Amino acid sequence: MDDSTMTENSDEMEYQEDEEEDEDDNDYYYNYDNYADSGGDHHNDGNDQNSGGADFETLQGVECLNVEQAKNLLNEHVDLLSSKLHISPSLAKLFLHLNEWNVNAIVQAYLKHTNAFLVENRVKPPSTSASAMDSLPLPTPSSSTSSPHSSSSKTSVCSVCTLSLPLANDIDMRRKLHISPSLAKLFLHLNEWNVNAIVQAYSKHTNAFLVENRVKPPSTSASAIDTLPIPTPSSSTSSPHSSSSKTSNYIGLLSCGHPFCKNCWAKHFEVQINQGITLDISCMASQCNILASETLILTLLRPALHDKYESFSFRDFVSTHPHLRFCPGPNCAMVMKARESKPKRATCTSCHTSFCFQCGAKCSQRNLAQLEAEIENLSWKIERAETTDRGDLENQMDIAEKRRITLLKDFHLTAPGKEGRGSAELSLYLNSISCSGDWKQHGSEYYECSRYKENPNIGRESAHAQAREALKKYLHYYERWENHAKSLKLESAMLEKIRTRIHSKVMTSSGTWIDWQYLIDASTLLARCRYTLQYTYPYAYYMEPSLSHSRKELFEYQQAQLEAEIENLSWKIERAETTDRGDLENQMDIAEKRRITLLKDFHLTAPGKEGKGSAELSLVS
Amino acid sequence: MANIAAQRIKREFKEVIKSEEVAKCAIKLELIDDNYTELKGEIAGPPDTPYEGGNFVLEIKVPETYPFNPPKVKFLTKIWHPNISSVTGAICLDILKDQWAAAMTLRTVLLSLQALMAAAEPDDPQDAVVAKQYKENPEMFTLTARHWTNVYAGGPSKNPDFDSKIQRLTDMGVMSHDARVALSTYNWELERATEAIFT
Repeated sequence: MDDSTMTENSDEMEYQEDEEEDEDDNDYYYNYDNYADSGGDHHNDGNDQNSGGADFETLQGVECLNVEQAKNLLNEHVDLLSSKLHISPSLAKLFLHLNEWNVNAIVQAYLKHTNAFLVENRVKPPSTSASAMDSLPLPTPSSSTSSPHSSSSKTSVCSVCTLSLPLANDIDMRRKLHISPSLAKLFLHLNEWNVNAIVQAYSKHTNAFLVENRVKPPSTSASAIDTLPIPTPSSSTSSPHSSSSKTSNYIGLLSCGHPFCKNCWAKHFEVQINQGITLDISCMASQCNILASETLILTLLRPALHDKYESFSFRDFVSTHPHLRFCPGPNCAMVMKARESKPKRATCTSCHTSFCFQCGAKCSQRNLAQLEAEIENLSWKIERAETTDRGDLENQMDIAEKRRITLLKDFHLTAPGKEGRGSAELSLYLNSISCSGDWKQHGSEYYECSRYKENPNIGRESAHAQAREALKKYLHYYERWENHAKSLKLESAMLEKIRTRIHSKVMTSSGTWIDWQYLIDASTLLARCRYTLQYTYPYAYYMEPSLSHSRKELFEYQQAQLEAEIENLSWKIERAETTDRGDLENQMDIAEKRRITLLKDFHLTAPGKEGKGSAELSLVS
Repeated sequence: MANIAAQRIKREFKEVIKSEEVAKCAIKLELIDDNYTELKGEIAGPPDTPYEGGNFVLEIKVPETYPFNPPKVKFLTKIWHPNISSVTGAICLDILKDQWAAAMTLRTVLLSLQALMAAAEPDDPQDAVVAKQYKENPEMFTLTARHWTNVYAGGPSKNPDFDSKIQRLTDMGVMSHDARVALSTYNWELERATEAIFT
């Protein structure tokens, strides 16, 4: 019995280690196959997602956790850190929160420059002398750390509430809340770990309780009792003979030692938590940013607010953890876990929402709407621009640009020259008007219109004209991007339509479900192609002009080809009959090939850096 | 909680009354109602600034959660300053927002405001028009701020040139404050101000 638990424990230890230190280990403990089977990736039905790496979009190794699992995961980190550094869990939590949950980096920084690290993480005031350092990382501040301000505490007035609280009241509170961990352990051990019973017994008959638990000799006079269970005086807590310190009313609870009364601390925490602040609650003194630890907050806080605190801090922890994201789906409480944070698609197993893992957002509809409004404004202003309101116009340009940047930031469409990620993950679904120009003007070059032709003389034009030109260029790409986004949305309706059509076909016994299944595959593929195409536009917008001309040409050519094939495919799907299945599948193949070619050439390859997506790749005919 | 707030205000009120700044007439504090939720503050324009010689009245509202939340302060006296709205009197100052600490008092707030008047932060403006002028045309800003101080805060130095321009506009039936705002905005160019008012 004992043996088996032992081995289990050690196993657990091992995989925890793996998780923390060996992130690249291929034997990662969760199972991809299970994940795929559970239906998490409904977009790739019928596609082996691991085959040849053809699909660039889905983030590998994503796991869906419920709140409990996520909490356990966070606690594993906390335990690991607190055991490594021998610090309290609440301090460990604080460090993790402030350092992106990078355990190794924290351990290194802490061991190298403990003092600097503590100051940087706002646990210690910068001025504290080195001698006081040693006692610091304890969760309960001892009075030795409160050096810089302890002199002021002799005034024995809390500078926040200005009241001298009745002594008895204050001490009662401290008694209830503040016993040293060693004392707490003792109580728990002697009382069968029944916390509630201990708290009740303790608060009712403190003296009797202490005597009963052999912490105090029964004969101690009542006056000496008061100082007993309090860890804060520098003298050891369990000695009944420690002289009661003069500052007992007002205690510097944080390492900075600013003295305030407990009531004020509690109110301070309450106000902050009601504003949604949990982990960044700092000292009440002005210019003091020392953070309050969780232990302290929870001991002083009204029990009614504990849940609130827990849920807020959990939310904060998840949002600072680089490998965890809340599922953005409506009313979905799942937490997604991945091995790395990349702008790729993750799909929630519970609500099937797909989203970009890096930004955790589904689609920034609000940003889009704002951007549209600003563009309207801007074009209106450019139309009517007079010499006098240049400042106004520039202001408007600024706003529009900012909105655009926000939008693009959300989508991680950074300039290809810089990072080279051309496409981001968003799951919009959608049919198309790819060019809003006059159809008749389309010449032999079928999708010439997907390209924006820059005015070569732009350098000589006035600032006004340049602004107009920049806007035009931007609008050109934006419109196309938006049209495809709309089309993607329509696509989901289309899928529904196809389903009903298949149903009716099957009902009228023209073929079985299997005969028609290819249509669903086709529309999934169509959505994927559209999706890719949609994000080629921001990519094209950010393509640097300095980029070699031939490469730009190639990109535009491939983009046009893909666009043409997509339109073909879309048309064919809509009019599909059993007879032309071969034809349709052929078309699907072509479209997919075009997409892959385009992506291979331009996705994730920083131009010039890797050089593998070079222009030598043949212009596919 | 309200109890703490009232206690605090009572004590701070006394602190201000007794402070040496009051003795020097630099700051002043008055109660508006008996439950210590609304106060009237007054600060003197700091020396060697365009606000010198002026008296600026502030509205101070004490929230129920005071001192854990900052008091709500705004200028009642019109003032030309990058970090204070020339329209509403709203103040952009960090200690009245996220940098507030419970250990701060009304006295420190009033002194901070005085310091803000002496050292504007045009890069974090409340009033963009003023901030732009402050950065691009500092002389014009100084003149304008001094004029506003003279008109609204009882400052000593009159500016006959500005007064006559305002007179020109008021003769056309424009309210004098509107005329002043338009002229201040357009660096006291009468033509552009007139255009702005009548279009």
